[in-house]
Amino acid sequence: MRLILADDGVLFREGMARIVTEVGFEVTGQARNGTELVELVRRDPPDVVITDLRMPPNFADEGIEAAAEIRSFAPNVGLMLLSQYVEVHHALRLMDEFDGAVGYLLKDRVSDLSAFAADVRRVAAGHVVIDQELVSRLVSRRRERDPLAELTDRERQVLALMAQGLTNAALSEELFVSVKTVEGYIRNVFTKLGLQPGEREHRRVLAVLQFLRQQ
Amino acid sequence: MLATTEATDAQVPSLGLEACLAMVALLVAVLVGYGWLLGFHVDNAHNGLIAASFSAVGLYVVRMRPRHREGWLFIAVGVVHAVMFFGRQYGRAEGVLPAASWIGWLGVWPLPLAIALAGWTFMAFPHGRLLSPAWRRAGLGMLAIAAAMATMSALWPVDYDRIGLVSPNPLELPGAELAARYWRYLLPSYALFQVLWTAAVVVRLRRARGDEARQMRWLVYATVMALVLLVTGLVVFRSPVLGALAVPLIPVAAGIAILKYRLYDIDPVVNKTLVVGSLVLLITVGYIAMVVGVGALIPVGTGWLSLLTTAIVAVAFEPLRRRAQCVADRFVYGHRPTPYEALSRLSSQLDEAPEELFDGIAATVANAVGATEVVVWVGEEARLLPQAGWPRLPDSRKLSRLDELDSRPPSHVRPVVHQGALRGAITLRKPIGEALTSAEGRLLDDLVAQTGLVIAQQQQAKELQAAARRIVTAQDAARRRIERDLHDGAQERLVTMGIELGSLEEHAKATGGHELAARVRDVRAQLLEATAELRELARGLHPMVLSEAGLETALRMLADRSAIPVRVSVGLAGRLPREVDATAYYVVSEALTNAARHSGAEVVTVEVAKIEQELQVRVSDDGRGGARPDGGTGLQGLADRLAAVGATLTIDSPVGGGTRIGTVLPCA
Repeated sequence: MRLILADDGVLFREGMARIVTEVGFEVTGQARNGTELVELVRRDPPDVVITDLRMPPNFADEGIEAAAEIRSFAPNVGLMLLSQYVEVHHALRLMDEFDGAVGYLLKDRVSDLSAFAADVRRVAAGHVVIDQELVSRLVSRRRERDPLAELTDRERQVLALMAQGLTNAALSEELFVSVKTVEGYIRNVFTKLGLQPGEREHRRVLAVLQFLRQQ
Repeated sequence: MLATTEATDAQVPSLGLEACLAMVALLVAVLVGYGWLLGFHVDNAHNGLIAASFSAVGLYVVRMRPRHREGWLFIAVGVVHAVMFFGRQYGRAEGVLPAASWIGWLGVWPLPLAIALAGWTFMAFPHGRLLSPAWRRAGLGMLAIAAAMATMSALWPVDYDRIGLVSPNPLELPGAELAARYWRYLLPSYALFQVLWTAAVVVRLRRARGDEARQMRWLVYATVMALVLLVTGLVVFRSPVLGALAVPLIPVAAGIAILKYRLYDIDPVVNKTLVVGSLVLLITVGYIAMVVGVGALIPVGTGWLSLLTTAIVAVAFEPLRRRAQCVADRFVYGHRPTPYEALSRLSSQLDEAPEELFDGIAATVANAVGATEVVVWVGEEARLLPQAGWPRLPDSRKLSRLDELDSRPPSHVRPVVHQGALRGAITLRKPIGEALTSAEGRLLDDLVAQTGLVIAQQQQAKELQAAARRIVTAQDAARRRIERDLHDGAQERLVTMGIELGSLEEHAKATGGHELAARVRDVRAQLLEATAELRELARGLHPMVLSEAGLETALRMLADRSAIPVRVSVGLAGRLPREVDATAYYVVSEALTNAARHSGAEVVTVEVAKIEQELQVRVSDDGRGGARPDGGTGLQGLADRLAAVGATLTIDSPVGGGTRIGTVLPCA
């Protein structure tokens, strides 16, 4: 699988390039900022782009801007955004603006090589990946009238995994139950929370994140 | 210059209006003129004078300012009185004239309406508008009663006996006796009307400031003079003629008040009238007492007595005059403060908002020396700018040099010097013909010295605030820089180390070193904890989301992370200045932290809205309250930060009643 990496920190970029190569990915290019990244992708589109969210010149959301541009001319390139912080508004924006094949992780996650490699592959396969810290923060926060109180522990677990972007198949693997059982859990969760089941995976993630964010 | 201001206010009357006014003038002239020719009746003369004077003044006012309501009211009063005057003259004429009963009738029944209309006119002086809706209701009540009375008076001859018309009421309806009985109960309404409009005038006089106060003084002065003349006439000549002749004084004074109040100041006139009047009264009374009283007790020649009295009067005159002047000053200019009062009032104003401080100085100086106009200038010798004025700031706010300021009497200039440097100036204008007494001069010097302190203190306060603002800005910049350095430096290194450890772990696993792999995993886990801590620390220093996505997103992020449920309501259009963004964010952040730590609240509400040029920030919870800035809660730091940007932190936190923390940030 071919990757292009973008990060303004040379240490991190080089380190990541080395380890993803060890896991069996091929790094076809490295960029220091969004503009360079877009250029590289335009010349030779990879399977997945792994980019820092915050890069020069403004250290704001250049990564998302570059990703959006890439998606416009190379819709088959998977987009994995890394950041020192994971913020709900970014996750919502990624789910809303990108039609799947997008990931949003803390940079720390890269250090767990096998898990990170799996996440990159999921993005490449068109799935959605949302950092677990962000989701657990949302799931565990107190609410005025907590609708999550209605859920069983298992259902809550399903909800959290769903918010991270896991597909039904991935859920069944994670929980060691059949896909049918997973579908049952999901139906329960959606009914109890009054959510409309989205047809597409990233729509489902968006709905769940938005729901979790509400009071 | 003042005269031209008056002229520019005036509007040119249209041709139609001119014609209409001419018709009214002609009507009143014919009614009053023809009425006079029909004979002289003392008890009707005042109606004629009112008709002529009110119409004339009203017409003049309306010609100068066609939209002036009070002018139209004057015309209405004049016309009603003209009709009434003519009706009475005609109805009383020798040798009954044709249609005398009907025309005479017109001289009787409009009376209640005329009185009520005149009352309304006084109540609405000087702009033609009543003081408030409540006064308007009272005025309408008065008009309603008057209308009822006029109707009654028109239908039955209830008011005929008093007026002495030749012909009776032309309607000759039955029930005249019954009507007369009820009429008696309605008559006290007239007294009620008088009380009402007098009260309205007194209330307005007390509330009025500046121009309106001057206008009111014209009216009151004329009314009092007319009353004095009436009483004098009744007492001395036993005739109301003097009083009737004095009636036109009122509309004329009112007309001056409406059109020329800035040109002629009434205060010196009132002042001199009071001094002369009281002296005349005192001397007359004293003279009579001496001649009559002493003459009856001691048998001396009248010549000696006159001589003695004259001598006493001559000796007592100057002290009496001074005393009378003092009383008159107090009456006209209000209570003039003693030097001590003036100074202490000034120092008590030092606590006030800076913008109002110089207004306070101007008012205090005006009050202390009885000036008609005071301007406080601040700046260097060649660059003085009017900062405040009494009764108002001068229209032209241009820079002036000290030697350009008008110092010809009755104007005076006092430079404000503090620690050897010129800081500003105070200019004032006394009423024409009044000098600055030496006592006033000394008081003025003291006030000027105090003003020097105030200006110096203001400049220091400004410099302090500017310094505090610079510190806050620098602190924000430093926080942003440190966050950035952490992000690009330590955080990146740690994350990179994590990757290396991850790679090491994989190698160990691959080469069968399972114990090593486990230990590396442990180290990596600890490293990740350290990076997580560092991450939170960096976020606390400066939330990147604030510069990146603005206040609303940053506040929602705070809400996402809060340990207590938070309701966020944000009303913002567009981005705010960076400093305002950061300040509002820290206020909310600190308030949420406090709420989570101390309040035990169920829910916190964050409301942020930009209203005009201000950002209103409010964080309220339903917790146990009792938050104080000195409780080590970080609220003091917040208050300091807010003070630096010219805002204040309000904390409303009664024990058991929740906490409301808020501020209003200027964001022009």
